[in-house]
Amino acid sequence: MRLTVKNLAKAYGYLWALRHLDLALAPGEFVALLGPNGAGKSTLLKLLAGLTAPTAGAIELDGQPLGANGNALRGQIGLLAPSEHLYDQLTVRENLRFFTALYNKPASAGALQAALQEVGLAERAREYAGNLSAGMKCRLSIAKWRLLDPGLLLLDEPYGVLDGNGVDLLETFLREHCARGHIVILASHHVARALKLCGRALILHQGRLQFDEPKQTPWPAFDQAFGDFLPRGGL
Amino acid sequence: MTLLKQANLLLWKDLLLELRRRDSLLTMFFFGTLLLFVFHFAFDMPPDKVAELAPALLWLAFLFTGTLGLAQLFQAERDNHCLDALLLSPLDRGALFLAKTGFNLILMLAVEVVVIPLFWILFNLSAWNLLPQLFLVTLLGTVGFCVLGTITAAITLRARARELLLPLVLFPLMIPVILATIRCMETVLKTGGFGDATAWLRLLIGFDVIFLTIGVLIFDWVIES
Repeated sequence: MRLTVKNLAKAYGYLWALRHLDLALAPGEFVALLGPNGAGKSTLLKLLAGLTAPTAGAIELDGQPLGANGNALRGQIGLLAPSEHLYDQLTVRENLRFFTALYNKPASAGALQAALQEVGLAERAREYAGNLSAGMKCRLSIAKWRLLDPGLLLLDEPYGVLDGNGVDLLETFLREHCARGHIVILASHHVARALKLCGRALILHQGRLQFDEPKQTPWPAFDQAFGDFLPRGGL
Repeated sequence: MTLLKQANLLLWKDLLLELRRRDSLLTMFFFGTLLLFVFHFAFDMPPDKVAELAPALLWLAFLFTGTLGLAQLFQAERDNHCLDALLLSPLDRGALFLAKTGFNLILMLAVEVVVIPLFWILFNLSAWNLLPQLFLVTLLGTVGFCVLGTITAAITLRARARELLLPLVLFPLMIPVILATIRCMETVLKTGGFGDATAWLRLLIGFDVIFLTIGVLIFDWVIES
């Protein structure tokens, strides 16, 4: 999967949440999306997920505009938002069965059990998702996207609810996902963790892309941009 | 996956959630029954006025009860941003419309199966043999209500005062359905058959088919805008 973003802009009323954003991502790229609160990270993720329409510009997946042939393209995009996008009154297993059927990727009982085993939820497969803690729900979301295997996976601040084991689990999943040639875009305030995983970093500030470079060691340009645009205390 | 398969999957999910929560069905059932008792104590219906009054009272009860159900129609999707999860998926939006309409129809019919005979008992009506025809008209009217109700519930989904806005948008649009249903029921009660009311019956069927088709076609735009 190849992602191209051309002159993307989004306005809410008179407020520009995102302006003149150009981006091209190749298969297998892992991108850290950084920026202070209100920089436009979540807006960008929503636009890439097709959950909101851009005010201007275009998003293309493998050369096809996101709006056209929407249903088929949407099946290639995943958004992992911790504790969200799960039905509280369906059991853990029913949630997985429902979403895999919805994406037309039905999984056998064995595959569901294996996915739950990997995220440590096999024992809780019959419990309602609403009874799980936020961290457990995030693990369930990891199992869900592991089964759905989207070509473009977007993550919105996944670290806040996960314990140490959960973070290891997530990072292993993301590395494997990228290794299969899929694109991962991780929006987070945990700069050190995001930088450890990524191969490229983007910094958004006041709706504009201020920094976009592949990872280097050492990385003086990032250190400079970090000082200019990101609040202290994250690294 | 075809449109109908997707709609079936969503309908299964909605029915399972309703079975576990029992929010909508119980509320609708008790409210509908309560309205009947209020009407029973408020109106002294003389036998010669039954044909004029009974359909209007019944449809008032269905309208208010159905609106309660519509206000809860997307509740499961509002929790945990599950609507975003559905919109993110490759789901055909027409399937979502069909599933929600079907789900609302099942709830309404479940309530009506209890409310109509109860109405007959409370108002001491004797025309039990006309119940099949009346159920047919009620079914057509209820389909129209559910189709239009699902569209308006989706339009008002993100509005702040959606519970207030929903009936304000829905009721004026429902006038043709209410009129046709009441006229058909009135004719059945007066003559024992559809007789002169076949034009109203055709209007009801036409309304249902047209708005069901429109709903499938425009739901994409309705739910995303």
